[in-house]
Amino acid sequence: MEKLVELQIDGKEVNAPLGMNLIDAAELAGIHIPHLCYLKGMRGFGACRLCLVEVEGMKDPVIGCNTKVKEGMVVQTQTERVRDIRRFVLDLILAIHPLDCLTCTKAGVCNLQQYAYEYELKDTSFTRKKMGYPIDQLNPFIRRDPLYCILCGRCIRVCKEQGTKVLDFIGRGINAEIGTAYNKPLRESGCTFCGSCIDACPVNALPEADRWRKGREWEYIKTKSACLFCGSGCDILISTKDNSIQKINTGAEPGSAKKYICAYGRFGYDFIDSEKRIAAPLKRLNGELKETTWKDALNIVAAKLKEAGGNTGFMSVAGMLNEDALTLKRFAKNVVKTKHFDTTMSLYSDVRSLKDSHSSLITTSDLIVLVGLNPSQWNRILPALNASIRKRVHRGGKLIVINSDIDASETRIQEVATVSLEGDEIPILKGIAKALIEKGEKADIQLKSAVSDAEISKDIEMAAKLILEAKNPLIFTSPSLFEASANISLIKGKVIAVGLESNARGMAQIGLTTEGKTYKEMASDGMKALYVIGEVPLVKRPDTDFLVVQNSHLTELAEQADIVLPATTFYESDGTILDYLGRFKKVSKVIEPLGASKNHRDIFITLSKILKSPMKKPTEAEIEKALKGKPKITFRPFVRKTGFDISPKEFIEAINASVLKSRRLSWLLELKSSRAVAA
Amino acid sequence: MNKDIAIKVCAGTGGVASGGEEVLSAFRNSISSAGLEATIYEKCSAHRVGCRGFCAKDVLVDVIINGEKTTYKHIKPDMVARIFDEHIMKGNPVTEWIVGEAYFNFHNKQTKVVLSHCGEIDPEDINAYIAVGGYKAAKKAFASMSPEEIVDVVKSSNLRGRGGAGFPTGIKWELGLRIESDIKYVICNGDEGDPGAFMDRSVMEGDPHAVIEGMIICAKATGSHHGYIYVRAEYPLAVKRLQMAIDQCKQSGFLGNNIFGTDFGFDLKIFQGAGAFVCGEATALMRSIEGKRGMPTPKLWRSAEKGLWDKPTVLNNVETFANIPRIIMNGANWYRNLGTDRSGGTKVFSLSGKVKNTGLIEVPLGVTLRDIIFDIGGGIEGEKSFKALQTGGPSGGCIPAEFLDTEVDYESLAQVGSIMGSGGMVVLDETSCMVNTAKFFLEFTQAESCGKCTPCRIGTKRMLEILERITSGNGKEGDIELLEELGHHIRATSLCGLGMTAPNPVLSTLRYFRNEYESHIRDKKCPAAVCKDLITYSVLEEICNGCGACKRACPADAVRGKRKSPHRIDPEICIKCGTCFDACKFKAIIKI
Ligand SMILES: Cc1cc2nc3c(=O)[nH]c(=O)nc-3n(C[C@H](O)[C@H](O)[C@H](O)COP(=O)(O)O)c2cc1C
Ligand code: SF4
Ligand code: SF4
Ligand code: SF4
Ligand code: FES
Repeated sequence: MEKLVELQIDGKEVNAPLGMNLIDAAELAGIHIPHLCYLKGMRGFGACRLCLVEVEGMKDPVIGCNTKVKEGMVVQTQTERVRDIRRFVLDLILAIHPLDCLTCTKAGVCNLQQYAYEYELKDTSFTRKKMGYPIDQLNPFIRRDPLYCILCGRCIRVCKEQGTKVLDFIGRGINAEIGTAYNKPLRESGCTFCGSCIDACPVNALPEADRWRKGREWEYIKTKSACLFCGSGCDILISTKDNSIQKINTGAEPGSAKKYICAYGRFGYDFIDSEKRIAAPLKRLNGELKETTWKDALNIVAAKLKEAGGNTGFMSVAGMLNEDALTLKRFAKNVVKTKHFDTTMSLYSDVRSLKDSHSSLITTSDLIVLVGLNPSQWNRILPALNASIRKRVHRGGKLIVINSDIDASETRIQEVATVSLEGDEIPILKGIAKALIEKGEKADIQLKSAVSDAEISKDIEMAAKLILEAKNPLIFTSPSLFEASANISLIKGKVIAVGLESNARGMAQIGLTTEGKTYKEMASDGMKALYVIGEVPLVKRPDTDFLVVQNSHLTELAEQADIVLPATTFYESDGTILDYLGRFKKVSKVIEPLGASKNHRDIFITLSKILKSPMKKPTEAEIEKALKGKPKITFRPFVRKTGFDISPKEFIEAINASVLKSRRLSWLLELKSSRAVAA
Repeated sequence: MNKDIAIKVCAGTGGVASGGEEVLSAFRNSISSAGLEATIYEKCSAHRVGCRGFCAKDVLVDVIINGEKTTYKHIKPDMVARIFDEHIMKGNPVTEWIVGEAYFNFHNKQTKVVLSHCGEIDPEDINAYIAVGGYKAAKKAFASMSPEEIVDVVKSSNLRGRGGAGFPTGIKWELGLRIESDIKYVICNGDEGDPGAFMDRSVMEGDPHAVIEGMIICAKATGSHHGYIYVRAEYPLAVKRLQMAIDQCKQSGFLGNNIFGTDFGFDLKIFQGAGAFVCGEATALMRSIEGKRGMPTPKLWRSAEKGLWDKPTVLNNVETFANIPRIIMNGANWYRNLGTDRSGGTKVFSLSGKVKNTGLIEVPLGVTLRDIIFDIGGGIEGEKSFKALQTGGPSGGCIPAEFLDTEVDYESLAQVGSIMGSGGMVVLDETSCMVNTAKFFLEFTQAESCGKCTPCRIGTKRMLEILERITSGNGKEGDIELLEELGHHIRATSLCGLGMTAPNPVLSTLRYFRNEYESHIRDKKCPAAVCKDLITYSVLEEICNGCGACKRACPADAVRGKRKSPHRIDPEICIKCGTCFDACKFKAIIKI
């Protein structure tokens, strides 16, 4: 438990944890201290001067964002003096801020508007001034309009903290503004278009590029969900209106910089109704795919599955909801009665590594060890992992990077590492284990003898020291190095194998993992019938008599199928996942399925009925039970598992091929390749 | 005949700019070519010496023959031959080039502690510094003093920070010593961004070793092994000389590992700043060394606890450090007794403006403003009368004649509405407009505001706009009150000292010279006839003899009149440049 201190704010007794600032402490008592530059989760910045409050015994007002609670403190947040000051500060801001709240996109959620209202300022009492800055709208994601900017520096700080470092203050005095290096448009900067700055901006200086006239904030229905595009499985907040998604933000509370999402998660939703979206079942007639009814399509599928029976293969992605996965497993095993069902997870991980992974949080770890992983915001390989680790380091956490391929990875994460160990991970991990044992940590005999021949370099020594000093070390490892990494966690800390898809851990727990042929084998071994679910990384039809593709979009593979079944996207379906940290997350249906598309589980259930062994939807309890399981970590030899050598970047791009073909993201990919050429 | 000859040429930046290097080599050439004929000059040497503080008179040259010193002013390379011939060879000083009484007054009324070596020793030679007792204090501190003892001496010397705020140095060091940490830093603040200030530069250029010695003693006192000297990149000579001094110290074992043969290490580096005014502010300076934009950060901890890279840091001004060796050698009492009860020692000021003698001066704290202006400064130039003294640079204020007997120290200057600041003193006479003066300083601060916090970024600009409107004749009733309101709010709400003090020039002139503001606003007149838009030039027909000088000089063709008959200025065409005013020898043109 954190130590609590007792203080008084506006006459109310407040118990706040030691180290908390006055803004947050006041909020505990339901008191709002006005602020514009403070971003929850970050250090106070002290720029806007709106949060000034009076503290008994202090001559001058102090800023609430940067003053920590003290035992017995008596704080006044609404004295005439500080209200006067706030009015003055707002008055100054309004002198150079447009007053077009009538049409402003941010109306209703703009902090400046809210305070101007509260402090009764209709206009500035000074001479209004137009700064005449140009708008940057040379990209389809973010419109940067410095005219509205109040220079709170929030965007700069989130961009810096997460490591993209695109924005900074430029100029001095009244001409100070926010800009990129040489004040180029974002397109020509190193921007990854993650849009973190959009979430940070309290005014209308950084809205989404297409946000204007897409509806008022108060008309939106806001639903929490998770993004399923990659292994990070980020929390998102989806705004919808009239059955259509208007925008997506991070799942963090507004005005905080606690979470990150990447450009895919924020802007990829356009793919819902892209050209390739399938609205009705298709069947091959005279060599061409033609629309048909569900009844017709499912009858054909049922007949073929019955015929192929145990020689049917089910291949799916692992970015699938638990409910769909469990239904699929039951359908394959109990209805079709085949042992061959597997997911793309088997391309990058074994089951055990995921099942035996611990559950933990980045935010509570004081030391992170990254083994053989190359998370990258620039290549969008687990970008949120990259950003979250950087944030943690920025806020005082330590990082050890162990990687044999630092140069090729382009991850740049080692630039924030406390210790970066370059080279074959196995001997390094052995060295660390040995160093820990030599420093007096307990280990069993097997482990001791396994590392007896290990060499300990100065950096390994240093890494071991960090692990020893840390309270909650957390090891993230690529699955192929899980065992070796887990041996360290036998001595100290937790270990997590990170998969490339959002629900890889769920797949492992539920057991949608083959009892017969693997994903790779099914793709090459000539199954009698193949049933593909989701956007698997296959572009050529495997050798099979009958191919069903069940997906939201007409992929290259689907174009070669005999039957194509239109599935919903994860915005159109409720469900859950188990993310890489072991958190159970809800995914919400925020819009109605497009056309005749149905969610995966409903399709399997209908098929089961046609096949005369009807299934039911899995209940919540069943899902919960399926996801239970405790990691069992025991000593295993220090070896690298083989067979998981796919390129993470190509894999993630392949499973999201339809997403990346959407209007805005395709612009981004083009930009990226042109940047690469330029470099 | 064996003469001991020394020639000293001023090589501070003022001197170098006026041709100090050329003068120096002219002497060198003369000596060496003469040296071919006789050996009587064998002891002769030509030093480069740092700033002598009498800037108006550069290049200054001392010719010392057998200990007898003659000082020449305004020396140019082509004058060297005559000095050489007549004075050095024949023993007859060139009297018309010798500095006058003013020079001696200027120097004799001062007490030189920090500046005592400047202009006297070769700053590029560590041995010259050692010869005058340099590094004895550091050696003493290392050989026979505990950190606590050093801190005690500094505390009881009453030395206060010379960077402006006047925080007691000993207390700062004590905090630095008490905090435990594996890494601690010592930083010397040599940013010196006040317009026209050059005290710290003179010390860094003229006596770099004293600064370094002060830092070494601080390192020992606070248990710190890493130091930075932050110098603005516009001071290349200071950078060069400090670097030479650091290198020499390393060679001598005064810096690096095992200094003075102990197991104590102190590593000192120079950091060249980009030269923004705000970078002189302690937190902005530290951010700048960290590689971030030089922007102040709110102080949650004292720098002594979390400073550079969040490590305990003691940061002091150049002059503060330069005082330290003297205090250690001469004792706390000596230093304390030089000053007042509240602040010990001396302070360097740069005296400029409308006084006869301008330049760097060093006086004991407690002297009166009157002593400074009328004794050292030699009084007001021309037949004008004193109006105000602006102290403390752009963060300071204007002090009127009624307070001339104020004794200089931190509190007394604050009491009369100004500050000590880093030591700028600008003398203003009756020809100075106080509104315009306030505007000048505010122009500077608002342009130098880092732009981070709202009051300073937008508020100072709003104040400036009002001043611009007043000085251009568009002032309105209520403007004065608005200025006061803005000023008080900005002072109370800004993040750093820049914003908090930016309104000072305006508020202090409003306090003492409110009537001048009122004349500008109500009568649309500038009493000192400075504000262009509020003055008109006209010809006094009784005096004008029609010489036509004004007509020829006027760039706008605004002067009408026939030769030998009174001229007239067409106010519609006149651009108020004042050229005619200067051109008229008969004082027939007036501006009101
Ligand atoms: C805008 C601003 C500019 C400053 N510039 C300088 C400077 O150029 N040199 C300096 O020594 N102190 C400067 N200071 C004061 C420093 O913040 C700090 O107080 C000082 O360097 C501490 O050293 P001292 O205790 O020896 O005076 C400045 C302060 C402000 C607010
Ligand atoms: S979109 Fe992301 S990378 Fe680009 S400027 Fe904003 S925060 Fe930085
Ligand atoms: S763009 Fe928005 S977040 Fe960035 S500084 Fe301006 S107001 Fe703040
Ligand atoms: S007071 Fe001025 S200089 Fe200081 S932080 Fe604020 S804007 Fe920057
Ligand atoms: S929130 Fe504290 S200064 Fe802006």
